Amino acid sequence: MMRRFVNSLCASRLLRRGMLAALTGCAALAMSAGAEAQEIQLTGPLAGAPAVRKLRLHRAGRIEITPSASFTLLDEYQRTIMPGLRVMYHPTDWIGFGVWGGYGIQTTTSLTDELQVKAIDDRNCSANPNDSACKLTAVNLTRGNLAQDQLGRMQWVAAPQVTVVPFRGKLALFASLFVDTDISFFVGPAVIGVQERAPCGADNDGNQLTERPCASQESFQLESRIAFAPTFGVGWNFYPTSFFGFGAEYRALPFAWNTSGFDNAGAGNDEAFPDTAVNNKDRQFRFNSMISVNLMFSLPMKVKNSD
Amino acid sequence: MNEVAQLDLYGRTGPIDAHVARTAEGMAMNQVRVGLLVAAALLAMPLTAAAQQQGQPKEINLDEEGAAPAEAPTEGEGAGTGEGEGEGEIPGGEGEGLGDICKIDPSACPSINMDEAAKRDINAEMYAVQQIYALRRFRFEITPYFGITMNDQFVAHPAPGLGLNFYITNVLAVGVNGNFYAGLNSPSNFNFQTSRAARVGVPITEYAWNANANFSYVPAYGKFAGFGDFIFHYDFYVLGGVGAIATRPIAVVDPDNRTFEFKPRLSFHVGGGLRIFFNRWFAVVAELSDYIFFDELENPGIATGVDANNNPRAQDPTTWTAPETSFTNNVQAQVGFSVFLPFSWEYRLPK
Repeated sequence: MMRRFVNSLCASRLLRRGMLAALTGCAALAMSAGAEAQEIQLTGPLAGAPAVRKLRLHRAGRIEITPSASFTLLDEYQRTIMPGLRVMYHPTDWIGFGVWGGYGIQTTTSLTDELQVKAIDDRNCSANPNDSACKLTAVNLTRGNLAQDQLGRMQWVAAPQVTVVPFRGKLALFASLFVDTDISFFVGPAVIGVQERAPCGADNDGNQLTERPCASQESFQLESRIAFAPTFGVGWNFYPTSFFGFGAEYRALPFAWNTSGFDNAGAGNDEAFPDTAVNNKDRQFRFNSMISVNLMFSLPMKVKNSD
Repeated sequence: MNEVAQLDLYGRTGPIDAHVARTAEGMAMNQVRVGLLVAAALLAMPLTAAAQQQGQPKEINLDEEGAAPAEAPTEGEGAGTGEGEGEGEIPGGEGEGLGDICKIDPSACPSINMDEAAKRDINAEMYAVQQIYALRRFRFEITPYFGITMNDQFVAHPAPGLGLNFYITNVLAVGVNGNFYAGLNSPSNFNFQTSRAARVGVPITEYAWNANANFSYVPAYGKFAGFGDFIFHYDFYVLGGVGAIATRPIAVVDPDNRTFEFKPRLSFHVGGGLRIFFNRWFAVVAELSDYIFFDELENPGIATGVDANNNPRAQDPTTWTAPETSFTNNVQAQVGFSVFLPFSWEYRLPK
C-alpha cells in the first residue's frame, strides 16, 4: 500500500516540475518504506522466540554411566583395545564433569608379524650370531618374541574430564526413523600406565649401563612407568530412549614413548642417530588417537524438557 | 501531519494529493524549493506513521481501499460471519464469503466452484519433514577437497581432489571424483627408522592420480541447535564406485637397477561422509574414502646371474616386481566444501 502511494505520487505532474526534489523525496520514501518492512519482521510473532522449544534435556541433572570399548588408530606395531567405563555428572544440559578409564589389551599389526617372521625367525640369530644382519640388528631386535620383549604398550588410562555439549539436534534416518542427538567436546588430564623397553646401554640420565648392554638378549625386557598427557576429543551421541543412549567419540592422547623398543636416537646432530643405548631419548612424540564406542545409561531415568 | 500519516496508513490518499497540489500552486515560482519542502514532508510522513504503530492494526487490509472507513467494518463483518452464506454463490459474482475482492476488482474475482472443490479427494499425507532445508534433486554438487592418508605409515599420499555429483533424486546422485597425487608422495621418517633398525626393506609405492565414477546415497539428515541459539543442517552420505588409480613402486631394494613407470590399475571406491550446510548451497564436507585395488610391489629379492644375452638378470624389468599383487586399501580422510547449483529452487509443496 505504501509503495503504491509512493509510485502514484512520484508519477504526478506536480513532482515532474521539480526533478531534484522528486528524486530526493522518492528515495527518502523508498528508504523509509524498506525500514518499516523490516520492522514488521522484527515485531512478528516469532521475534525473540527460542531456536528450540520443548527440548528433551538428556543430560541436565543426570548421572551418566557409560561402558565403552576404545580402539587405537594408526598403530604401527600394536593395536590396543581398551574396555572402559565413563561416569559423568551433568549439572546442566551443556556441561558435565566426570572420569573415563580403561584397561588395554594388545594385538599385533601386520608389520609386527612380518618383522617377527622375516627379521627374527628367518634369520635365526641365536644360531647365526655372526651373520651381518644379526650383528647390525642386535641392539634393536630380540631373538625371541618381538611383541612380548620390546614393543611398548598402553596398559591402562585414567582421565578426569570436562565435557561441553554445544550442539543438540535430531537425525532422520531414511526419512522415517528419528533420534535425538548431540555433539560433545571433552578435555582433561590423563594418567597412562605405559610399558616400554627398559633402558639399556645408558640410563635416562646418560649414565652408562655396562652391565646392561643393549646387544645382549637380557636387555630385552619391559619396564612400567606412569606417563601424563592431555586428552581431548569429540563425541557424537544418540538417544533413542530417555535413559539409554549410544555414541562414538574420538580421543587424542598425545605423549612421547618408545613404541618399537628400537634405538633410534641419542647421537649425532640433534641426537637423530642411534647411540647403541635405549632410553628416554628414543621416545618419540605420538598423537595416540583412538575411537570409542559408548553405551550410555542415564539416571534418574526420567528426562526433563526445556520450555 | 499526524492526520496525513494516519490517512496513509489506511490507504486514503485523497487528502494528501489535495494538500500537495495546493502547496505547489502557491509556490510555482520556485520549483526546487517547493520540491525540497515536499521531500521533507514525505520524509517525515512515514517516520510519523511508524511512530504511530502502537495500538494500530498492522495488517494492510485490501478490502478497505477506496471505501469509507466507517463502512469497512460493516462489510467485513458480513464476510466474517458468513456461516456458509457464500457457498456456491461466488461464480455469480456476489462475492459474499470471500471478502470484497470482487467488488474492488471484478476481473480478480475467484471463479471457484466451492461445491465442486469441497468434493475433491484430499491427499492428507503428512510428511516427516515438510521442507528439507537444502533440496538436492536435480542440482549439481561441486566439491573441491584435500585428502590425507589414513593407513599408510610408510608413505604419505596427500592429494587435492575434486568431486562432481548430479542428484537424480533428493537422496541419490551419480558423479565422478578424482585425486591428484603426483609430486606429493613422501616416504615417512618411520619408514626410514624401521628399515635402519631391522634391516628390512618394506615395499612402498607412490600414486600419480585416481579417478572414479560413483553412486552416492544420502540415508540420513538432521539439524543441530548450536548453543541453543542458531540452527544448522547436516546430512550423511555413503558412496560406492569404480575407477582407476595409477601407481608405481618406489625402488628401495635395488634402486641402482630399478626404475618404475606409473601404471593405471582397476580400483573400487567406497566411502561415507558428513556434509554441514552453511546455507542452502554451501556446505563443508568431511569424508572417509577407501580406494581398493591390487597393487604391484617391488620384488624384495634381486635376481642373480645373467640372461641369454649375457646381461645381468638384475637389470631385467620382469624381475623387478613381485610375482603376486598385493591387496591394498588406500584410506583417505578428505575435507573440503560443496557448492550446489543452481543456488535456489522452489519447493513442490507449500510449507
